[in-house]
Amino acid sequence: MPLAGIGGIPTRSEVIRAHKSAGGGIAAVFPIHSPRALLRAFGLLPVEVWGPPHVDVSHGAAHLQPYVCSIVRNALSFVLAGGLDVADVLVVPHACDSLQGLGSILIDFVRPRQTVLPFYPPRGTRPSDFDYLTAELRALYTRLQAVTGLTPSGETLRDGITREEDADRVLTLLHDLRRGLGLNSAEFYTLARSREYLPAEVFSAIARQALERPPVPAPSGLPVLLSGIVPEPAGVLEAFDRIGATIVADDFACSGRRLYPPGRDPDPFRRMAEGLLGGPPDPTRGSPIAERLRRLIALSRRSGARGVIFYTLKFCEPELFDLPSLRGGLQRAGLPTTSVEVDLSEGLPEQVQTRLEAFLEMIA
Amino acid sequence: MSAGAAARYHTGVAFGRAALRLQRLRSEIRPARSPSEHLGPPLRLAPRTKELVARHWLEGRYANPHRKVAWVTSGAPVELLKALGFYVVYPENHAAICGTARVAVSIASEAEARGYSRDLCSYARTDLGAAFSGKTPVGRLPRPDLLLACTNICQTVLFWYRVLAEHFGAPLLLIDTPFVYYDVAPPHAIDYVRRQLEDAVPLAERIAGRRLVDADLRRVARLSKQASELWMEVMQRNRHRPAPISAIDQFIQMAPIVEMRGDAVTVDFYADLLREVDERIRDGVAAVRLERHRLLWDNLPIWYRLRYLGETLGAQGVVLAASTYTNAWGELAPLIDPDQPLESAARTYLYPILNRSTGHKLKTMLAMAQDYALDGVILHSDRSCKPYSMGQMDQRDRLIREHGLPALLLEADHNDTRCFNEEQASSRLAAFLEMLEARP
Repeated sequence: MPLAGIGGIPTRSEVIRAHKSAGGGIAAVFPIHSPRALLRAFGLLPVEVWGPPHVDVSHGAAHLQPYVCSIVRNALSFVLAGGLDVADVLVVPHACDSLQGLGSILIDFVRPRQTVLPFYPPRGTRPSDFDYLTAELRALYTRLQAVTGLTPSGETLRDGITREEDADRVLTLLHDLRRGLGLNSAEFYTLARSREYLPAEVFSAIARQALERPPVPAPSGLPVLLSGIVPEPAGVLEAFDRIGATIVADDFACSGRRLYPPGRDPDPFRRMAEGLLGGPPDPTRGSPIAERLRRLIALSRRSGARGVIFYTLKFCEPELFDLPSLRGGLQRAGLPTTSVEVDLSEGLPEQVQTRLEAFLEMIA
Repeated sequence: MSAGAAARYHTGVAFGRAALRLQRLRSEIRPARSPSEHLGPPLRLAPRTKELVARHWLEGRYANPHRKVAWVTSGAPVELLKALGFYVVYPENHAAICGTARVAVSIASEAEARGYSRDLCSYARTDLGAAFSGKTPVGRLPRPDLLLACTNICQTVLFWYRVLAEHFGAPLLLIDTPFVYYDVAPPHAIDYVRRQLEDAVPLAERIAGRRLVDADLRRVARLSKQASELWMEVMQRNRHRPAPISAIDQFIQMAPIVEMRGDAVTVDFYADLLREVDERIRDGVAAVRLERHRLLWDNLPIWYRLRYLGETLGAQGVVLAASTYTNAWGELAPLIDPDQPLESAARTYLYPILNRSTGHKLKTMLAMAQDYALDGVILHSDRSCKPYSMGQMDQRDRLIREHGLPALLLEADHNDTRCFNEEQASSRLAAFLEMLEARP
């Protein structure tokens, strides 16, 4: 997609084709947290699968009950429809009961052509969590060795980590400076979410172009902060622009909750663990609700958001459990909130748009 | 802790116990009759179960501030807290009591009114509703001094207990148990759980106000093991045909192994239950009078329709002879090593069926079908329990296609009556039972 003044961002298909034709492999990676640098060290380009939204969900319906969230239902449908045939491995991080079920069903029953690699990040930031994650990453390294036949050196790993940390740094800057980039919401997320499939160094180069342009005046829409899993289905971001809202910050699981800080440890596995566990508060990593609340308040203040919109997915327990406490806390901090619920398989319902419009009128 | 609080605790508990004892004696003098002509007589021990469970909740009513209170998940390594003298509350058991008493929806509505979605686990909504409103059928729930959540039954408990920690301002101890995707847990996962258990000790000691004594921990672990073994033996008596104790009865009789694991009284209780079950076998007493078919139940019970289910199946000569759910509270007994309580707990608490793969559950069901000579499986697709329910559609298909075992997926919810369509369930059950009947 061409962005004003930045040029084109290659599409997923283009990137995958180019990487494959250069002899590389593709790792289809499900939400939420995964060690990109480790995969790259084995020549596998991580390409993330958040849903995706436009899938024939009847494929997944043969395996999943209707009360499973659309991220998982769509992902399984996508696998079954052949959408991930291009992938060489499927990486399924554990983040909730539904993603756990997805990984297990893939391994035990669906048994796709590709190797399925589960990955369990810990639910805390205690010393035992760091040690466990370091060991879990080493175990994943061993499995990747068996799958690819490669044994990347420590130096290769460290190079990869440096590239990923640089991309994370640039992504964080993009988030911080988003209001002066001259991008509308759809353009901003096209750029920011290209981190989900571009090689880190390519993403960094493109994002730097956006950052190096002279700042432009902030958009005039009402500034809001969005929290949720993923800004899908298609059309939601355009809808925000249309109704006069400007997303000035986000706490999306696919986006603002993955602004990882660089690690410091000389051991590459330990350093990757530091990065993954150092990200912003996230219920699927066990962060206390109070930490999430503090971050949302700070983010709102810093970005000038006039209100917070919780954009939740139906049946998403990690989000739904925190919602009342977060809304109550934000309200007490003088930040109005609203909550809308969507399903990736459906378009953006009229009712949701009306609700958002009403909220904007209220905070205007 | 004041002398007044101690006096209130001891007086309240003593009076309450006396009243419960009287109630039990009355029930024993005039034993209940079978709820249906198709079912065997109720267990003689049933009034004692009721008394035992009621006594547990009675103590809770007076526990603050006399005793330190911990709220824990059902799969949590409770031995550590028991050895430190905590009074332990199991919110899931409390929610099940609410479900059986058919007050779960009214209590869950208190949480829903505060913004908790109806798509969340109905145990969690019931528990949060009780915490917010104080509504409970057990008199009063004590405030927790400590929360202990173990992710070996689901990730839901992590999200749920974070809300409880926020609400009560109580510290949350988390024992994170990496999901076991393959046959065995990797060594680093076992090491991780062991370390978390060790690291939990200082906080638990600080709140308890006393040091953990190794001998106490070993004693509690031994009692846990003994009770779990006895419970397993009780269930295994259903290898006998006709089955002496249905899974419906087991759902009720399992309360002590969940909420009083590690107590001496629980060991005595299951020893007596085993004796009674043996007597039933000796005397030819069956759970279903004319047992023709034996089924496996998968997943949590539908607490508010236990009787309906028992009678509907019983009328067709069908007994639920085994259940993966009740089995889960006994199958890990061999892993408990009282001489290495923390080390063995790391393994024991990693391996509950809910922390294992969908393929492992299928293997468990097949093994149980063989062990108990079962004719089919009812898989309760429980809207509130995703880790138990995800995989069931494939499990059902494999049971039918690859193993020739009839299997039915029954949509419901363990606690929320609003998610249960009795008409639909009845017609699906009727069709399934007809099909069973028609098999050679």
